[in-house]
Amino acid sequence: MKTLIRGGRLVDPVQGIDAQRDVLIENGFVSRIGEHLDADGARVVDAANAVVAPGFIDMHVHLREPGQTYKETIATGTAAAAAGGFTAVACMPNTEPALDAVSIVSEVVRRADAAGLARVYPIGAITKGRAGRELAPYHLLAEAGCVAFSDDGSTPRDARVLRNAARYAADLPCVFVSHCEDPDLKGDAVMNEGSASMRLGLEGAPGLAEDVIVARDLLIAADSGKAWHIAHVSTATSLDLIRWARARGVRVTCEVTPHHLFFLDDRFDDYRADSKVNPPLRGAHDRAALRAAVLDGTIDAFATDHAPHGVDEKAQLLSVAPVGFSGLEIALGAYALALPALSLARYVELLSVNPARILGVPGGTLAAGSPGDVTVFADRPWTVDARLFLSKGKNTPFDGMLLPRRALATIVEGAVVFEHGCVLPREEAPA
Amino acid sequence: MRTVPPRSLLDVDDLSPGEIVSVLDRAVAFRDRLPPRDLLAGVPVLNLFFEASTRTATSFTLAEQRVGADVITFAPGASSLGKGETIADTALTLHGIGVRVIVVRHPESGFARRLADAFDGHVVNAGDGTHAHPTQALLDLMTLRQEFDRFGGLHVAIVGDILHSRVARSNIVGMRALGIEVTLVGPPTLLPREFAGDGVRVERDLDAVLGRVDAVMMLRIQRERIDTGLLPSLDDYTRRYQLNRTRLRSLRGDAVILHPGPYNRGIELTDDVLDDPRSRYVAQVRNGVFVRMSVLDLLVNGAPVPA
Repeated sequence: MKTLIRGGRLVDPVQGIDAQRDVLIENGFVSRIGEHLDADGARVVDAANAVVAPGFIDMHVHLREPGQTYKETIATGTAAAAAGGFTAVACMPNTEPALDAVSIVSEVVRRADAAGLARVYPIGAITKGRAGRELAPYHLLAEAGCVAFSDDGSTPRDARVLRNAARYAADLPCVFVSHCEDPDLKGDAVMNEGSASMRLGLEGAPGLAEDVIVARDLLIAADSGKAWHIAHVSTATSLDLIRWARARGVRVTCEVTPHHLFFLDDRFDDYRADSKVNPPLRGAHDRAALRAAVLDGTIDAFATDHAPHGVDEKAQLLSVAPVGFSGLEIALGAYALALPALSLARYVELLSVNPARILGVPGGTLAAGSPGDVTVFADRPWTVDARLFLSKGKNTPFDGMLLPRRALATIVEGAVVFEHGCVLPREEAPA
Repeated sequence: MRTVPPRSLLDVDDLSPGEIVSVLDRAVAFRDRLPPRDLLAGVPVLNLFFEASTRTATSFTLAEQRVGADVITFAPGASSLGKGETIADTALTLHGIGVRVIVVRHPESGFARRLADAFDGHVVNAGDGTHAHPTQALLDLMTLRQEFDRFGGLHVAIVGDILHSRVARSNIVGMRALGIEVTLVGPPTLLPREFAGDGVRVERDLDAVLGRVDAVMMLRIQRERIDTGLLPSLDDYTRRYQLNRTRLRSLRGDAVILHPGPYNRGIELTDDVLDDPRSRYVAQVRNGVFVRMSVLDLLVNGAPVPA
């Protein structure tokens, strides 16, 4: 099977290429990059006036399977990924049951292979049941396909448990991913603590709730030598702590979401839960620090924290409505909206090169011999209509907004899984 | 000329400053002479109290009866809504039954707003979580005007658990709209700095404030604040923030003392305060009925035609 991506502007920072090039994929791998390559029976993707990049990887999504398939399934989540321009996603373990055993992880891998619309990299739990007490079997989970470990959605409250987990798993390449929120400082917060929460009479989570756990986890990373990744950074102080740790040689990376880069904590006057998320949308000072940290290199990766929920669930009272919302299908445009000055090379680093490096998975470049995973995108404004999402989660604070950029085609292992606005069933390679 | 009435009263800022004054004028007129019981004749009004209330529920019920409404009272358990039936479905059902006005109290901030957004009728917020209690603020304003015959230039201190007080929030909104200077007094855990703003100061020292104000509003302190680690003890709190015989001497002779009730004798205030001639608690609760009659009249019938 051959696929030719023709006439696009190839942006491949690893190879130092930013020029018009055709990309030829054969048998799932990049075989040639060059000008005016011969189609010769290949499936042709027209990339004229578009950018061709190594496949984008969203290293923080919730696919909800097993256990909450009314919110999302691996099939609908990977369809959303394909439509959003992602060739791979790393799925968080806060499923029911949690991804803390080989049998569960193997089933996720099997179903992802069957759906076939994007690569799925499971992230295993750090503790059994994400309960923060007993360690999960890291080596077995890694053999079953886990590329990282996290108790995402919460954090082990007991620092001794986390320290022992990090020490035990230190010689595995799988990074630890921290969702940093102190449950006591956070309390029953539904939004950020600040003048808006005071005015509205809503309980707010202070930035401090994030900062103290970031500090703790960085110190445990230093102590254990474990490579660490801080998920969805939302405060200026977290970024300062990460810079401090790096200066001391701690192996730490971090990610930022589109919603924290774009929105502020001023979206709760209607008391609806559409913008309720953990960590919460913050104030202007924190948002400015996040944007600056993307540009100065402190932030390594873009990740959506795609967290689909049922529409009725999000329509509940603010106190009981679940946190999070869909992100896969707005991400490419939302990042461009929040950071119009970001170079294309840096954009590709944040969406492909660095996520691949952090997770230790193939991709991040289209050099010959690399996986045939490609994202084709262009600056073509479009208006978000969440009702049309392929994800089962039809909520996003970006709903109704005009976004400046979108995916045009998504290619996984040489198979075109998204083009002309449609997700395509993956063609079987001829025998 | 008739003005378009606001559909609902969720907080004081649903009324313009002119409308606030007009609501108070009408409340004064009702106090001076009760209107005939036909202002809301045949209008079904539902009192929907998800949270226990004695004074506010009684006051609203009397006000509704005095304007001739068909009064329905329903006190569901605090959690019965939000579990199964959605807010939108409940609103649709109640409107279908024939309810045209809902007076609602709920322990969650924003509930009145969510209900009003879904209900095709009038909603009067009788208290939502720690957010707002607009008719309480209006009756406080009525009491202040009765005393001073003006709003501009007045200086009011609100003392206590501002963070958890819907009464404080609605009063801040109403007082600022009318040009009243506000000083908030309380410990940092119950009064974060973020409350300071245009015309609103945050102070920690009650003794430094008392001699400078025209009115002092004492808020109730709940024991729960000790259990949740926001206060060390009631004794420690009262040392700094209780209004008592000693502190009454700092208060000007022409100043007044307000309390939204129910008060805790011996905690935020002592018996001396309630016996003090400057205390206006009884006037406040009395004014409450007339303010609520006036609010219902404005929402349902619109602004009165000038004579």
